[in-house]
Amino acid sequence: MSGRRILHADLDAFYASVEQRDNPRLRSRPVIVGAGVVLAASYEARRFGVRTAMGGRQAQALCPAAVVVPPRMTAYSEASQAVMDIFRDTSPEVEPLSIDEAFIDVSGLRRVAGPDTAIARRLQQRVATEVGLPLSVGGGSTKFLAKVASGVSKPKGLLVVPDGGELDFLRPLPVGRLWGVGPKAQERLAALGIHTVADVADVDRAHLERHLGKAWGHHIWALAHNLDPRPVETGRRRRSVGSQHSFRAGTVDRAGAEEILLGVVDRVTSRLRKGERVARTVVLRLRFADFTGATRSRTLPEATDTTAVVLATARDLLAEAWPLIEQRGLTKVGVAVMNLDTDGALQLSLPFAVPTAARGRTEQNPVQLDAAVDQIRQRFGSGSLVRTTLVGQEPIEMPLLPDPVPADATSDRG
Amino acid sequence: MKFRCERDVLVEALGIAGRAVSTRGGLPGLTGIRAQLQGNQLTLTGSDLDLTISTTVTVSGESDGVSVIPARLASDIVRAVQPGAVSFAAEAESLSIQAGRSEFSIRLISGDDFPQIAALDAEPVQLASAQLADALKQVVLAASSDDSRPILTGVLMAAEADGLRLVATDSYRLSLRDVSQASVLAEGQSVLIPSRALGELNRVLAQGDEVTLRLGTNQASFEVGSVTLVTRLIEGDFPNYRGLIPDSHPNVLTVNREELLDALRRVKLLARESTPIRIEMSDDGMELVAITQDVGTARESLESSYAGSNLTVAFNPQYLLEGVEVAPGEEITLSTIDELKPALVRAVGFEGFLYLLMPVRVS
Repeated sequence: MSGRRILHADLDAFYASVEQRDNPRLRSRPVIVGAGVVLAASYEARRFGVRTAMGGRQAQALCPAAVVVPPRMTAYSEASQAVMDIFRDTSPEVEPLSIDEAFIDVSGLRRVAGPDTAIARRLQQRVATEVGLPLSVGGGSTKFLAKVASGVSKPKGLLVVPDGGELDFLRPLPVGRLWGVGPKAQERLAALGIHTVADVADVDRAHLERHLGKAWGHHIWALAHNLDPRPVETGRRRRSVGSQHSFRAGTVDRAGAEEILLGVVDRVTSRLRKGERVARTVVLRLRFADFTGATRSRTLPEATDTTAVVLATARDLLAEAWPLIEQRGLTKVGVAVMNLDTDGALQLSLPFAVPTAARGRTEQNPVQLDAAVDQIRQRFGSGSLVRTTLVGQEPIEMPLLPDPVPADATSDRG
Repeated sequence: MKFRCERDVLVEALGIAGRAVSTRGGLPGLTGIRAQLQGNQLTLTGSDLDLTISTTVTVSGESDGVSVIPARLASDIVRAVQPGAVSFAAEAESLSIQAGRSEFSIRLISGDDFPQIAALDAEPVQLASAQLADALKQVVLAASSDDSRPILTGVLMAAEADGLRLVATDSYRLSLRDVSQASVLAEGQSVLIPSRALGELNRVLAQGDEVTLRLGTNQASFEVGSVTLVTRLIEGDFPNYRGLIPDSHPNVLTVNREELLDALRRVKLLARESTPIRIEMSDDGMELVAITQDVGTARESLESSYAGSNLTVAFNPQYLLEGVEVAPGEEITLSTIDELKPALVRAVGFEGFLYLLMPVRVS
């Protein structure tokens, strides 16, 4: 690669570490944050098999000695902020990935700050003394390599893969270390006789693409050769805007689902317009009564912030998923728009009212309609104007968390 | 059915009829070409129900008959064999294709679900092929390819006082062309023809000097040379485009068409994906600017004359380029109101063409 040096810094068992830091009695004891669902587990608890996202009951059965504490989100946000500040103090090129990890481009720092390993060690020391938290750091010539290295080094680890040593480092690793290879994918690869990164690297790319699909086969083959051109993106703005609505299973029929969709899309597109952004990809997220989920997405030919356009696309996606919904029962409808345009360039439409032949009437120009709705809401509050079909409904809404799913994802989680 | 024919004649005929063959699944009959031999006249027909294209060629016939042959396979085979004579011989269920030392036997498709397209008996009207080809080239490109808005995938053909008018829009730009002296429709009458059919028509217009047009209630047919194209019409009302064309523009830029095209093509190199090209207009002339973050910038000034206030308007470079490309004449005018209202491309000295284009809003 072209001399890029990237660090991936990742706080160890972040929430649990903050709890141990703030409460000396919790130190060196198994700590679980979150009672219903495990939000974080200290390394002491992980030794008993406790994992993030596990049910609380199962976690306590595995580790009865664990201390369960409720989450304190404000404390975690403050800690995260302090740590990110240290990263930014080290290099201007910082891309936060989530609350507890970030990529840091240190390519230009060799002269002023010394070799990567020294920079990484100093990061760990500063985070330990100034914020009091354990940090693992991985380094390498690509984002992917840096992230794998920090994962391998955990906890409190430091592993910088030297230039030229990339493939020696990657090849013996299990294939599950490749970004995007989960347990199910590992099964499929095992069926092809692929167990390590070396197995992926040595197999013919066409062979992988044939068995795994073109995009995905190419993706993991490239990673196995440490080909990852993604730069560290600083100052990145939001990548998606989303909203969702949950309800009890069996309480919503097709018409009801359409109404909910309308409300959710309305919120998403108003927020989009408020932020002066436009989006090209519409993602529909569904949750079913059996706790499985499905995601459907479609990319539009032109970026838009128009409610009618996003709604039409979301309706199409809902209609396509309807057979699945009837099978499994719906409990949540979420809509997110992605592929947000950064410069706000928006192709305007000719201001004609498109006649809808089916209904024999002329619709209001959707762009003007949105503008009028926004204006009224701005003056009289967001609840002042509601779609007729939604009158009298009490929305239960939760903002979606930042979204790690790639824009073109269409997946079933079973 | 049995006949012999020169390979190249057959390649072309299969190619023409094959343009209408359905590429998506659907009825098995629609993946075939219907071949009908009567004496020495072989008529090949392809159809996807919306569009039907037939062409007739002269062959050396041995026995009359009708078969539906797999379009893709037959076409590939005929194209691959040695130049010279090719013989077709159809039995009940298979077709033998023989040329030189090659011999193929392929299964025929059942003709049961091949559509019956009745000839239109409407009053025929003649149009000059060259003029229609010119107009189609200018208008069809502005039609939408988005099937979710079917009306916009059509080209409006409307009777105007002094002839025929063609209009298409994808809601971002609108192209209009008047074809004088051709009175095809009754006064005030208009039809909406799928742009795909007109695109296909344009490919075969070179087959003859004149086109014969027939308009039915829900179909239209075009005959040119030995080719007949029948298309369904789109139902519904085309947007009221007249109100969109501003009566007057305060700002008018006049520029050499070829020079603008060359400059646009150069500057467009720096306009990635959705990046617009900005046109800065002032008394000093015009400047084209493209700025793509993290990639770079391009800037080019052009000799032009400008009457109006200083203004910068941004456009999708592809849309602008396409409009200027199809404009006739040496000089064009770009008329603008402000950076958010529709802009108008016209050809100097040519009243019958206009191209309306919405700007890109940049913040």
